[in-house]
Amino acid sequence: MSIYDVLAAPFIEFEFMRRALAAIIALSLAGAPIGVFLMLRRMSLVGDAMAHAILPGAAIGFLLSGLNLFAMTTGGLIAGFAVAILAGLVSRTTGLKEDASLATFYLASLALGVSIVSLRGSNIDLLHVLFGNILAMDDQTLLVIAANATVTLIVLAMIYRPLVIESVDPLFLRSVSRAGAPAHLIFLALVVINLVNGFQALGTLLAVGLMILPAGIARFWSRDISGLICIAVLSALISGYAGLVLSFQTRLPSGPAIILVAAGLYMASVLFGNVGGLVRQLFPRRHLEA
Amino acid sequence: MRSLRAALAALTMMLGATPQHAEARINVVASFSILADFVKNVGGDRVNVTSLVGPNGDVHVYAPSPQDAKTIADARLVVINGLGLEGWLPRLLQSSGSKATVVTASTGVSPLKLGSEADPHAWQSVVNAKIYVTNIRDALVQADALDGDYFRRNADRYLAELDALDREVRNEMEKIPPARREVISTHDAFGYFAKDYGIAFIAPLGVSTETEPSARDIATLIVQVKKDEIPAVFLENITDDRLMRRISEETGAQVGGTLYSDSLTDEKGPVPTYIAMVRHNIKALASALGR
Amino acid sequence: MRPQLALRDVTLGYDRHPAVHHLSGEVASGALLAVVGPNGAGKSTLFRGLVGIVKPLSGTIALSNLDARDIAYLPQIAEIDRSFPISVFDFVGTGLWRATGIFRGIGGKGRERIARALAAVGLTGFENRGIGTLSGGQMQRMLFARVLLQDAPLIVLDEPFNAIDARTVGDLLALCKQWHGEGRTVIAALHDMDLVRANFPETLLLAREPVAWGATADVLTAENLAEARRMCEAFDDSAAACADAVRQSRAA
Repeated sequence: MSIYDVLAAPFIEFEFMRRALAAIIALSLAGAPIGVFLMLRRMSLVGDAMAHAILPGAAIGFLLSGLNLFAMTTGGLIAGFAVAILAGLVSRTTGLKEDASLATFYLASLALGVSIVSLRGSNIDLLHVLFGNILAMDDQTLLVIAANATVTLIVLAMIYRPLVIESVDPLFLRSVSRAGAPAHLIFLALVVINLVNGFQALGTLLAVGLMILPAGIARFWSRDISGLICIAVLSALISGYAGLVLSFQTRLPSGPAIILVAAGLYMASVLFGNVGGLVRQLFPRRHLEA
Repeated sequence: MRSLRAALAALTMMLGATPQHAEARINVVASFSILADFVKNVGGDRVNVTSLVGPNGDVHVYAPSPQDAKTIADARLVVINGLGLEGWLPRLLQSSGSKATVVTASTGVSPLKLGSEADPHAWQSVVNAKIYVTNIRDALVQADALDGDYFRRNADRYLAELDALDREVRNEMEKIPPARREVISTHDAFGYFAKDYGIAFIAPLGVSTETEPSARDIATLIVQVKKDEIPAVFLENITDDRLMRRISEETGAQVGGTLYSDSLTDEKGPVPTYIAMVRHNIKALASALGR
Repeated sequence: MRPQLALRDVTLGYDRHPAVHHLSGEVASGALLAVVGPNGAGKSTLFRGLVGIVKPLSGTIALSNLDARDIAYLPQIAEIDRSFPISVFDFVGTGLWRATGIFRGIGGKGRERIARALAAVGLTGFENRGIGTLSGGQMQRMLFARVLLQDAPLIVLDEPFNAIDARTVGDLLALCKQWHGEGRTVIAALHDMDLVRANFPETLLLAREPVAWGATADVLTAENLAEARRMCEAFDDSAAACADAVRQSRAA
């Protein structure tokens, strides 16, 4: 089998592979930069928390319109926003730190969601139905994640400066501007939108994985935040592409394949990365003259 | 004196003649809606049936609640499918501390294999359904011998209905040209149906709705559909149908409708009973493939 | 001339316990004021109140025709995330916030100003270093460079010379004097009494309540310092609500 057969042929022959690749591109462009900020703000576990927090919204959507993806996604978005914004507000106005604030709200939300589902009497696993698969990209889903990526990139560009300053020196920002709090809340809103759309299109593993792992990878190759973002996007793209090829050539399911490639890149970065990689630490290069 | 003895005798006879099944109905728990339907048909009004996995539920991934443990604890009889379908059940039975008799409805069915595991969807073949009903009847008779005749009568009537259903399915299958007896559905739920009625089912997900397909699986499926010109793709009521629609678009196979495999719907839905389910499925298949 | 800053019976604190208790006074425009006192005296809290980060529990703080962007605030280093991947150049560049706001780019002139600020604090050549690689003294210089760029009429420095080498202290002190010469109001919290006596004409001795406020020589007497030391550091959990009488502070 030639390189062409392995790397290019699957995408040329099958439309579902092309669509999956398009989804990867959109997800990488939007999700990776968000993941970098999540990592820097020590919010890496927010993805998992959010996957549970959206349950009451999806449940109410289900109660109102049955197994309608649009209704459940909208409900999920509302629930996600509520949890993220409330957690953000509480941590800004009281002494409670972000992670504890988020944990309490998402747990409460999950409990509420489970209760709503049980009250209805149906035992259906809502999230099982809500979470999609990258190999099943229909027109509507592709459009949604493309729009999501565009909006995310634009908004992120707008709040970039206050977000950066707020992450490194929040007191300074508070002393010169009132943009800190809105920037933070807008960022949380972006996180929720990306996560919920990601879950609905691709399932939790891919949506969260392609946000967080590339950020972890980038940390070992760059010392500057713009460098981090570029490398994160690149890693996400490479992982997505290689993972799809892997899933095509072997029998690995697609989502896990992509994440395994990303994890592999991560391990390689831990060992060989320029910035703090283990090999670099064990075998440092000769120091410079000045 | 004689009138008093007569009165006493009459009283005793009256007491003796009191129907001895006036005690409460027996509580039966079925693991999911299809089994519950069978039990209702055989047990009639002598049983109180509860289904753990309700209508439109997914029995492969069900997560039991404490209420379920209580329901099982109060039950006299628990009817399960077996063949590995209810992975979540053994622990529930143990933790509920129930003294109920557990009946495996699929006892006596010759199981098909799917990969390395047994295929649990034995009820899809009406022939097997009759075995299920027989097992359930025997279990009910054992649990409540006094109503034995009642159960046997109900079972006979229902088995006759199932016979008629079986003939109906075979008749409909005759109408489909042999070359077109191939469809794609979400998960491998129709193995037994395929074997007994001569139609091929191909699916990207394995035996359970839990699994995720690889890109290779989908590609193989698409190639096969195109090569064999498989006419129709069928959706399911319990999983996300976007994958099926994608396959349908890429291969040109029609979306033939929804097939019901692991769950009935509620009374307001299209398939509230097992017979309704099989009838619906065969009609959907026939109309999609019959042309 | 209207004072730059007017404090009327200000109480600032956390959880109803006062950290600054009934402080009144005025800071003239162009003043060079040192705020001294033992640990826990409320100096940082006072500064946070001046800058607007903490709201007074009672009383008012009036800043004459100044808004948030007109104050350059230098917090204690601990509050900055030194592991954040940002270069010295970019970090200092955030001082241009008044000019750029959220969206506008820094541009050529801006870059020149940043370079000059770095030169003024002796950090030329550090532009591309990550902030996590700086020593304590270099960090402080970097923060001063940012204050330079902020070009603010009121400058508030919270313990700027803590754990800093003597040479850096000398350089940065010279900058403070330069700002004073430019007519800016400079307020600094300090621990080194000798440094205060030598460089700051005005001093506020704070021990939660104001002990003395006025010319440095009058404030930093042995008697006042002894009284300040007597202040109890811990909050009193069994304290009653404070009667809201305006206390007379022994201010000049």
